[in-house]
Amino acid sequence: MSLLREAERCLANQHAHTLNAFITPLPRAGQWLDRVKEADQRREQGNPKSAVDGRLISIKDNICTRDLPTTCASGILDKFTSPFNATVVDQLEAAGAVIAGKTNLDEFGMGSHSVHSRFGAVKNLRRDADGRDLSAGGSSGGSAVAVAADQCYAALGTDTGGSVRLPAAYTGTVGFKPSYGLLSRWGVVAYANSLDTVGILGKKTSSVRDVFSILNKHDSRDPTNITSSSRSRILSRLQTPRLASRLTSTPLRIGVPLEYNISELTPSVRQAWLLSLAHLQEQGHTIHPVSLPATKHALSAYYVLAPAEASSNLAKYDGVRYGTRSDGPDSDGQPDGYLYANTRGNGFGAEVQRRILLGTFSLSADAMDNYFIQAQRVRRLVQQDFNAVFAAAHPFAAASDAVEIDRSTTANVDVIVCPTAPSPPPRLSDVSAGSSPLDAYVNDVFTVPASLAGLPAISVPVTVAESERNPDADEVAGIQVIGQYGDDELVMNVGELLEGRRLDS
Amino acid sequence: MLRPWPSGAVRVLCRVNRPFLARPQANPARFPSTRSLQSAATDRVPLRKQLKQEAKALKAQKKLRKESEEASRQDWELTVGVEIHAQLDTEAKLFSRAPTSTSDTPNSNVALFDLAFPGSQPEFQAATLLPALRAAIALNCQIQPVSRFDRKHYFYQDQPAGYQITQYYEPFARNGYVDLLDYDGIAPEDGGRVRVDIKQVQLEQDTAKSQEYPPATQLLDFNRVSHPLIEIITMPQIHTPATAAACVRKLQAILLACGAVTTGMEMGGLRADVNVSIRRRGEAPGQHRYDGIGGLGQRTEIKNLSSFKAVEDAIVAEKNRQIAVLESGGVIEGETRGWTIGSTETRRLRGKEGAVDYRYMPDPDISPLVIGEDLISSLTESLPTSPDSLVTQLTGAEYGLSIEDAKPLIELDDGARLEYYQDVVDILQSLHPDQDPQTHAALTRMAGNWVLHELGGLLTKADRAWDDTIVPARALADLVDHLQQKRITGSIAKQVLAAVFDGDRRPVPRLLEEDNLLLRPMSREEYVALAETVLAQRPEMVEQIRSKNQLGKMGWFLGQMMRLGEKGRVEAPKAQEVLQELILGKQ
Repeated sequence: MSLLREAERCLANQHAHTLNAFITPLPRAGQWLDRVKEADQRREQGNPKSAVDGRLISIKDNICTRDLPTTCASGILDKFTSPFNATVVDQLEAAGAVIAGKTNLDEFGMGSHSVHSRFGAVKNLRRDADGRDLSAGGSSGGSAVAVAADQCYAALGTDTGGSVRLPAAYTGTVGFKPSYGLLSRWGVVAYANSLDTVGILGKKTSSVRDVFSILNKHDSRDPTNITSSSRSRILSRLQTPRLASRLTSTPLRIGVPLEYNISELTPSVRQAWLLSLAHLQEQGHTIHPVSLPATKHALSAYYVLAPAEASSNLAKYDGVRYGTRSDGPDSDGQPDGYLYANTRGNGFGAEVQRRILLGTFSLSADAMDNYFIQAQRVRRLVQQDFNAVFAAAHPFAAASDAVEIDRSTTANVDVIVCPTAPSPPPRLSDVSAGSSPLDAYVNDVFTVPASLAGLPAISVPVTVAESERNPDADEVAGIQVIGQYGDDELVMNVGELLEGRRLDS
Repeated sequence: MLRPWPSGAVRVLCRVNRPFLARPQANPARFPSTRSLQSAATDRVPLRKQLKQEAKALKAQKKLRKESEEASRQDWELTVGVEIHAQLDTEAKLFSRAPTSTSDTPNSNVALFDLAFPGSQPEFQAATLLPALRAAIALNCQIQPVSRFDRKHYFYQDQPAGYQITQYYEPFARNGYVDLLDYDGIAPEDGGRVRVDIKQVQLEQDTAKSQEYPPATQLLDFNRVSHPLIEIITMPQIHTPATAAACVRKLQAILLACGAVTTGMEMGGLRADVNVSIRRRGEAPGQHRYDGIGGLGQRTEIKNLSSFKAVEDAIVAEKNRQIAVLESGGVIEGETRGWTIGSTETRRLRGKEGAVDYRYMPDPDISPLVIGEDLISSLTESLPTSPDSLVTQLTGAEYGLSIEDAKPLIELDDGARLEYYQDVVDILQSLHPDQDPQTHAALTRMAGNWVLHELGGLLTKADRAWDDTIVPARALADLVDHLQQKRITGSIAKQVLAAVFDGDRRPVPRLLEEDNLLLRPMSREEYVALAETVLAQRPEMVEQIRSKNQLGKMGWFLGQMMRLGEKGRVEAPKAQEVLQELILGKQ
């Protein structure tokens, strides 16, 4: 199929579905058509710019684009167009890719079901047995659905606590969150800087890998981006025989975190997890129980840290220099009212307001020590947990940290395999209508630890075949592979072993 | 500073419907003169009499104030700590490459990050560290090998991000000190020297400049946003208002001398906050503890003082307010207060300390600042001489200046006057490389006098700001040289200086030559003849001098000689000598 055909088909799908995946879809006509035709020519001549030359790639609407609006699904930026492109957008365009539009999300990335959007909820392509709409997962739900519904070749999302992996699991796509700092965040609207990671969604791991290889470069405009010298250090470590042989000539040691077997885990997800492990074992890899004791505090720590950073990052939205400003005096109508109260009160949705308030509280002088500082300590423990079970050392771990780990008593695993989410996608009506925000937060329980530790993690879809024990027809679940920092390739490769597998019990 | 918007430049015009102001704007200064003019009109007091009365009243008031100050000092101990914000002399802003120039078109020097655009990130400009380090070294601080940046949150339209990036938890410099000496203008009761410890020095961002156009418009100029600042925090160790002012003045002088800043308070490049507390002497120590110093009274903070006088006056006023409150049985609230120049009382800005919770948070985008020992030592070596050592040097044998001349030379025009003086001295030195020390010191003293007083007088008279090109150093050096060599007279030197000041660009030697101003020394015979002419005008006065020893009257004859003699040829000392000889017969 020519690239043009493929693009036209995506375009048709964008306009055919009412899934609300896009806030700004691709226009029917435009310069992009010529760019795809040129890419077709380059492909015919055997000279494509890259693996994504002429392909449509959707961009989550919290990643800045010069030519299309960047709303973050927020009322406060509902008419905002950024004066610059995010580095990842520039990188994709330089590789010949065409921006397929801007995808819907939970406002500023805050949510687990892509329902907290000024532009309405995203709908999953899948429906439940009764034909009711399901959650697409969040916050990159629009990007995941766009991929699932063939509205683009691949999509960029952002993953702060699971926002790429969870929608991938719910939509049956592949969602990859690279190691923190590998992909540039310049032009990515910050939710929680210390956790925010650009992630990639695709139908297959191979397309995710194609996009990743284009974006995985140093960018000096992002101060948290890994420098070129650190990248070479990681690479040369990975080329040592012991690490290079993993999966190629030696079988993998796969870790199964005992703490992840929680009561909230639904039978179908547990089944998918067990069958995936069994499948890997059949391939000759070995399974090892590991303990990540800090996991049970990870979710709480995440919901202290991320809102704290969010309350700070979102202080800039006041409608003064850009963005939407409320009419009339902006001081609550009172001479002594609070500055920007109207603009921020009207511009932000309920979930964003909730997290700003949470963060404002946990950073306040009286709460700081007990919440923010405590959560940072938990974050450190989560990192140490992972370092204790991985055979490969963290490339940036201080020498003093490494000494503490007694390798003889730990599992020395290469990757960890676990579910992405504890349950299949809930009904949209259940998550939209007055359910407790805490229920939504629980969906992040398996994705948050890798975010806190900055580790690479991928969610791949596996199908549990219909059986007596599993009466639900062909249930699809997301299985997550987590690796040591810098082990992004290995994580994708292991994901590929499971991706799309139909597993019989 | 805001000007109408010219076209062509990137700019942002922001209209803010007048919101709640977290920080009230300063009131325009009130001018007391209106009142006196009115009373003059109604009472018809002659102007001269009125002026006399007012001067007298002012004097009496000052005396009264001095006495009451002394009385309150006996009863109450004042404690003051100072915080200085100084704009660093840097090319770029703290976290963007935008230039720092303050005189450019409003909103023309603004990067995406300066305006807090979504998705923009900070880019720490390492060069801004150099002036900050020079300041910290000059203030004898311990430079911290690792320091960090934090966000200080508050909403205000001059703060685009909703937070200021500062160094709250781990500043880059700690534990310094500044010595204040008697010649720095400390209060006499503080003796000859006061050492004020510096708690910390931190790097932070400046805010935007805002201008209000009532009733509903504010213009914002973001050129100043993120201009690098250092905040210097002293320990609460100052006990007199004059010494607090001297401390701020000294800090400014040090910052200017080490090249950390380009402008001082008068240009808005330096702002001071002071915290003030009092406690009654001889009673139990106070309950409060600040920066590790305990036993203090509840303190208040006075923000945004923009002159040394304002520092002193505001502290006096706040101290008196606190005394009045306590003596009437009241309680001091920990609050932030403001001061308007010319007023007699500080005014409340906002309530209790802690009412504003800045929610300090480590900035997650900015990596820790790691400062190497090698950088510190190379900066320490290249640091210019401190003002104190300059005073010692200028008053020493080499220059021989008085302390009264040395101080203004160092302080005037942000050090430019001293630099000019040094240029003049260098040129003089090059003219006479082998001078003996005594002659050299006489020359440097004379040069000091001319740079400060003669040239300074012309500047004052013409009401012009300092500019080292008005009278080139070379021209002044030539003048001083000719004068010292007695090749011109003092009055000619002054006349030529005025000519150069007014724009005569001829080299001084040529000017003197062409205008025939070089001294052609008169012979003894000529002096005697001239003296005899003037003595003959008033023989009775000659008699009075001789008989009644009224030597003062000699001056009249000297003046006559200078006037009658050929212009530029009569040298006063020689004329005096001849007069004495003729009148008193002394050799």
